[in-house]
Amino acid sequence: MKTLEELRKIREKAQKQMKLRDSQHRIKIVVGMGTSGIAMGAREVMKAILDEVAKRNLDDVLVTQTGEKGLSSMEPVVDVIEKDKQTITYGNVTPGKARKIVAEHIVNGKVLTDYVVATQSQK
Amino acid sequence: MQDISLHLLDIIENSIRAQAKLIKIEILVQVMKNKLVITIEDDGVGMDAETMQKAQDPFYTTKEQREKKVGLGIPLFKQNAEMCGGGFWMKSKPGHGTKIIAEFRYDHVDRMPLGNLTDTILGAVIGHPEVDFVLKLHRHMVSGQQLDFEFDTRPVKRELEGIPLNYPEVYTLLQNEIKEGIIKTKMEEI
Repeated sequence: MKTLEELRKIREKAQKQMKLRDSQHRIKIVVGMGTSGIAMGAREVMKAILDEVAKRNLDDVLVTQTGEKGLSSMEPVVDVIEKDKQTITYGNVTPGKARKIVAEHIVNGKVLTDYVVATQSQK
Repeated sequence: MQDISLHLLDIIENSIRAQAKLIKIEILVQVMKNKLVITIEDDGVGMDAETMQKAQDPFYTTKEQREKKVGLGIPLFKQNAEMCGGGFWMKSKPGHGTKIIAEFRYDHVDRMPLGNLTDTILGAVIGHPEVDFVLKLHRHMVSGQQLDFEFDTRPVKRELEGIPLNYPEVYTLLQNEIKEGIIKTKMEEI
């Protein structure tokens, strides 16, 4: 498989970069993917985040998805989790808002307070 | 849900809640037999017969059962398949995973398009790094020719040795790989 060879090259390069950092990722983005989230466009939000992270070449960000979180009326929902900081939950996220979250919050560290629906201190 | 791939995504999320570690997805188009068959098989905790019955019945769902993670996703998928001259089957046993088969009449006027399969699979694969996925696409043409595509995350992850799947270059590579397979098997219906 051609892809596997290419993956090996990327891995070798990435491992060199990662040696320079103490952890694999600086920040984690979690997209809520329950039935209501999916119906409200969570897949498109996930895609927008993945695209934006790749476009900006952010190699220290981890993007994952999770199930229903009990915030059905605010779907799609996105959490931004950063070490030693409050977890920020954004609600009613659209692909456009998602791109803005990456640009402002992830890159510039500026929380987009207008879109925040919950914050939570980490245990 | 506007398309079949959104239903698929919903079922995948069910499997993940059932602690699946491997999810196999197969999409089969048999043009001669006028069939489109979606199969999702997981190795999660499975269900007993009673839970399986409840999972398929939207009217059975009370608040109490909702907490037992029985929702609207499966009944909607089932309804859509049956409405299109197809059928819906579930097979499950506690400790033995769950298999779901949804069949549609391929040319049925009410059949939803497959939708954006690339984004669905890519999102699920990247979004659940702890779970492995096997995607198989098959199209049996009238001419007897068969188009196939297979994508398996296990060799990919072995090669990556812990580099995240959303690592920019990896993401682009995986996206191209899946997209090419979908185009090759003519399953792009957006």
